[in-house]
Amino acid sequence: MAAVLEPYIYEGGVHKHTLITELLEDLGGYLIQKVPAATEVTLIMLIPRDDVHLIEELGTKLLGTLTKAPLTGTEIAVVSPTLASHHLPHSACDVAEHLRRDGANTNMLGLARGMGRRVALSADYERKLINEHDIAVFSFGTFSDCIRNKKPKLLEGVRIPKVVTGGPDLKTEDVANADVYVGNIGRVAHRLRKSEEISSLDIMNQKVADIVKQMREEIAKDPLAVLPPRVMKEVHEQVPQIGQVLAPAPITLQLDGLRIKLPYGEFHEKIENLEFDEGIRLFELARITPSKMKNYILVKIKRESEVGFAI
Amino acid sequence: MEALETFIVESTVPEEGAAYRSIISDIISELVLGGAIGRIKVVIRPEDSLFQMAIVLRGSQSPVKLSDFAEVGYGNLEKKEIKLTMNEEKYLPALLEKLWARYSRGNVIQPERKTLLIRQKEDPEKEISFLEEMLVADPKQTLLSRLVEMAIRSTPEGFRVRYHSMKDNYFIFVASEDNLKSEWIEEGHMILEQLQEEK
Repeated sequence: MAAVLEPYIYEGGVHKHTLITELLEDLGGYLIQKVPAATEVTLIMLIPRDDVHLIEELGTKLLGTLTKAPLTGTEIAVVSPTLASHHLPHSACDVAEHLRRDGANTNMLGLARGMGRRVALSADYERKLINEHDIAVFSFGTFSDCIRNKKPKLLEGVRIPKVVTGGPDLKTEDVANADVYVGNIGRVAHRLRKSEEISSLDIMNQKVADIVKQMREEIAKDPLAVLPPRVMKEVHEQVPQIGQVLAPAPITLQLDGLRIKLPYGEFHEKIENLEFDEGIRLFELARITPSKMKNYILVKIKRESEVGFAI
Repeated sequence: MEALETFIVESTVPEEGAAYRSIISDIISELVLGGAIGRIKVVIRPEDSLFQMAIVLRGSQSPVKLSDFAEVGYGNLEKKEIKLTMNEEKYLPALLEKLWARYSRGNVIQPERKTLLIRQKEDPEKEISFLEEMLVADPKQTLLSRLVEMAIRSTPEGFRVRYHSMKDNYFIFVASEDNLKSEWIEEGHMILEQLQEEK
């Protein structure tokens, strides 16, 4: 059985940061994402639980910080009713940014016809795209009448856990179809940076993390046939073209799969035939389908009960 | 009338009105309309999909001439150069546009931040008196377009049926998702009357 992995974010200077990634590799951890920004670098990684202190010691020596990132390895859709200036960049982008700080990968999704009250609706394509994610966060507005009576129809047909953010202080039960409601994050025309705004965002992250924890426990009951980060590592080793992908996260991890940002037509056979040390190929362990997002490859890993074994 | 001496946003639920007030005040400051608006009242009824806004503007600002913000004098006399020394950079882009159109780009030189030199062949004295009286910006014209922008930005999204009226210094804006009822527009005018009566 593989060691228990814990998600962490390292923030520090670019100088000598490869020492950390080398150590991580030696310990059997996984580097999920590396974001260099000028002289700073952010590393999102999964570290074996017993060895966290080793990375922490090295990180302190390099004057960086290591913090826990409970949302690592999740792909979250941040859905706003449209892409108009009413929702963007504030508050929907602030919501997405705050989720990313805890390690999540987020995709912003603006519905084509989500605006208004009577006319708001979502298309089949949009719902399928949202359902490819782990969790959907819907960012709604100021009026409780809209959030209670009109907007919940945008949540219909979305099968993944749904978090709704809005201005008024409502109870989750008031919003039909929602799994969690978070108040005080309504429509604003400025950046969310006041202390009470940040604390509502913190509450949202906490609630999303709770859902992720629940989902992980659910998966642990019937574990995945292979860990998504392991598939990610194999893709990096066996499909070198992934290095040429310009997306910030060429491979995006999900709780039960991953999104590989290579064209499906050209690469799906390579991905299906990805070979593990045990001599098993990926198509035996996972469903590989074209993603609704661009022409990417979506891998959903089967459960142990279905495959009969786990590696 | 003081700037923003009345600023009311009413909604069915009072707290939501307060939240909406912060949105509108952000938009007003973004579009630099704070000084232009005297009184503003907004009434929102989400259950009817209705947004009403009435604004009383403070007396309109007069057009800006070059001599209002710059000194026009002689540069190099032999070359018939004209020298502009500006006190304010705010109008520089608009001024440059005008100068380029008249003298062509190559003849307008900016040796440092607040100084412009113009190379030209006409009688400098005549040119100087012309430049002093030249209109550079008309705040009134840009004000109207900014007001409309503000109205559209502050309306809840999806309220695409709109009515607006601008008379003198009074602006009314009504928007909804459905067909506008005539009583809603009348209500808008009533809100404006209330604002006008305030002393």
